[in-house]
Amino acid sequence: MDFYEYLTDNAEPLFEEAVDHVMVVAMSIGIALVLGCALGVLAHRSARLRPMILAVSSTLLTIPSLALFAMFIPLLGLGTPPAVVALVLYALLPIVRNTVVGLGSVDRGVLQAARGMGMGSWRRFLRVELPLAWPVVLTGVRVSTQVVVGIAAIAALVNGPGLGNEIFRGLRSLGSPFALNLVLGGTLGIVVVALLFDAFFILLRRVTTARGIR
Amino acid sequence: MTEPMIRLDKLTKTYRGQPHPAVDQVSMDMPRGEIVVLVGPSGCGKTTTMELINRLIEPTSGRIFLDGEDVTNADPDALRRRIGYVIQQIGLFPHFTVAENIATVPKLLGWDKRRVGERVDELLDMVGLEPSEFRGRYPKQLSGGQRQRIGVARAMAADPPVMLMDEPFGAIDPITRDRLQNEFLRLQQQVQKTIVFVTHDIDEAIKLGDRIAILGERSQIAQFDTPAAILSNPASPYVEDFIGAGASLKRLHLSRVGDVGLDTGAPTARIDGDVAAARERLRSSGRAALLLLDADGRPQRWVDAGDLEGSDLSSAGEPVAAVVQAGATLSEALNEMLTSNAGVALVVDRSGGFQGLLDFETVMVATRSAPEFYRAAKVPS
Amino acid sequence: MAVDVMATPAEHSPRRALRWFGMPVFLAVVGLALYAYVSAQDLDSIEQRTLNAARLTDRVIEHLQLAALSTLIVIVIAVPLGILATRRGARFVAPVVLVLGNLGQAIPSLGLITLVVLLAGVGFKSIVFGLVAYSALPILRNTMVGLQQVDQTLVKSARGMGLSGWQTLTRIELPLAVPVILAGVRTALIINIGTATLSTFFGVQALGYVIFQGIQLDRTPVLVVGAVMASGLALLVDYLAGVVEELLTPRGL
Repeated sequence: MDFYEYLTDNAEPLFEEAVDHVMVVAMSIGIALVLGCALGVLAHRSARLRPMILAVSSTLLTIPSLALFAMFIPLLGLGTPPAVVALVLYALLPIVRNTVVGLGSVDRGVLQAARGMGMGSWRRFLRVELPLAWPVVLTGVRVSTQVVVGIAAIAALVNGPGLGNEIFRGLRSLGSPFALNLVLGGTLGIVVVALLFDAFFILLRRVTTARGIR
Repeated sequence: MTEPMIRLDKLTKTYRGQPHPAVDQVSMDMPRGEIVVLVGPSGCGKTTTMELINRLIEPTSGRIFLDGEDVTNADPDALRRRIGYVIQQIGLFPHFTVAENIATVPKLLGWDKRRVGERVDELLDMVGLEPSEFRGRYPKQLSGGQRQRIGVARAMAADPPVMLMDEPFGAIDPITRDRLQNEFLRLQQQVQKTIVFVTHDIDEAIKLGDRIAILGERSQIAQFDTPAAILSNPASPYVEDFIGAGASLKRLHLSRVGDVGLDTGAPTARIDGDVAAARERLRSSGRAALLLLDADGRPQRWVDAGDLEGSDLSSAGEPVAAVVQAGATLSEALNEMLTSNAGVALVVDRSGGFQGLLDFETVMVATRSAPEFYRAAKVPS
Repeated sequence: MAVDVMATPAEHSPRRALRWFGMPVFLAVVGLALYAYVSAQDLDSIEQRTLNAARLTDRVIEHLQLAALSTLIVIVIAVPLGILATRRGARFVAPVVLVLGNLGQAIPSLGLITLVVLLAGVGFKSIVFGLVAYSALPILRNTMVGLQQVDQTLVKSARGMGLSGWQTLTRIELPLAVPVILAGVRTALIINIGTATLSTFFGVQALGYVIFQGIQLDRTPVLVVGAVMASGLALLVDYLAGVVEELLTPRGL
């Protein structure tokens, strides 16, 4: 059976797995965005907490993915929950770091002006700081997504959802004639998902960046 | 005429894909031991012309002679070790100490360790930085002015007869720049190198150059002459335009206070001396005011006959203003006189000792006859 | 003149101490906690078989061998390639390499290694081959970026003083690019440590083997020991690489 046949025969399950893959990535990135932004703002505001927050999030990225997935099994069991938690932790560093960098690069004069016009600190953050830092934050999210799309493949090892299952099936049937098709299908599927996410972020960046700084 | 140190013969550089040459048939003789300044608007090809000399850019045609020797096809690396090179960004290697930076070329030339070490110390002394303090520093531990001096020291390390300097003072604040320029001229008096100096600043060119080449498009020489000659006889409207308004004012940059006739007839007295004697000295001089000096001969206060009625001189009269060193240019002296609202400038030697007075009249006379002063005035005392 | 000398401010000593000793202390604490946890467990025969010092040491050694060998090979291949790609005349290669590299990043490590093993067979060598393929990019990219970001006026200065192209490369450009190249090496090393845990599926029993045994046999102590040891190893190596990075960075930068 050649690869083309395999694709046409398995179009539906492959598509479903791809959707699962996208969902688990989207969910993890969504959570990581909220958490990462909050930590980033905290790190930006407090010079004392900054090194600690950055050190912890970069430590998380150092831990081997299989180990991180496994560590949550005793707490959360197998399946989607440990996968999402681990992926969120992996996604943190780029988002946190870029939030800190983005906020740090906002011109102090602009903030001073906003203050001078009587904007309160919350309004200043929402109307001035965040929009100006947003492109940098978004770049961080994009990097995180690339990392997470690939690592999500490994989630299949803890019975997580997604295209990793295709690879894992191929891996379990090493030596059989289907192995290559399965692995290739899963791998290429993940590459396609990654590229789609990337295209989405390019689009998102265009749409959500304030016109004046595009 | 003796052999020029550098001779450019119809030097041309054409970049691929460009219709006109960047440097077009430039011929120039640069005499031994002089500072030749290439000056022109940005984009005129002055830097390119300079980089053709050490062949960082290879000429398309034409020849380069160094000390009579045709170096157009010489090994470029060996050639460059014979030519000192300073650029605007200085380009000190950040991972080398000051000593290692200076030692770069001597080491390439295979000098032994002791000779290199001695040379480094000698050069640091020469540019006024204490060797024991600066030898082991890294460039990031230096101020802008210090970096610039190390850059010059590095270029002189192997004692090359020729130095190329591309806007070396360009990135330095005006006050430091002025000081470094003066130091540079003093140094040049000692070492007598042949220096090709690129700048876009005509004032810098006038201040530093023994000869100035004003360049137009494609590095065409609009005029190549001494600063005084260029200022008094611009060869074309282009040159006139480039010198800008106030050529006579610029001539004030050419003469130094110490070289014009100072008024040495002013009566002086020690500030801690006898009041009666001072009164007598003022009266006999026939002048309106007397200058009080401290024990080292440094000017302190001006007093008139009325001020000398009291018995204590230390707070009598007015404190002095507009004190300038003999090495200052007339332009600097004039500036002092105008800002301090004094009719005269007090000229002092390097340790601050009073030498004489400079008034507006003298400045005006000097302006008219600047060319005659020019040679002597070039080097600050 | 003494006033405008810019001295580098001394780092606050507590923070400095934290930077140098924080990680080793943290790892020691985690190690002790792990030991206490395992000692407190009533281990069954399966668990005892996996969790004994000699066997675990073997797992760690295999893991390190995989990571070290593949990283070494990557350095030997990617650094010279990165240098070549930034030389005059080959500069057009650089953007192509970077674009291809970024595309390559989208390939999941698990997929890539499985493909390599499928094509080259199960075993140590093919895993090393897979690791090399997957971790080449950071070193290649950092070598290129590191060399490209060297201030061109320094290169011009060096050439203008009469250093040859080779001398300029070895004495000026490479030393100045070292911090960036080393950061790439460190990243590659961490990627290799992480990816080497997957080697258990391809016949090499590194620390991933312990983790996967724990999952498959549903033995929490085994799983925890595997996961914590793999993480600890990665953090330790990262820490050591950081120390080396610090030591090899030329002074004055």
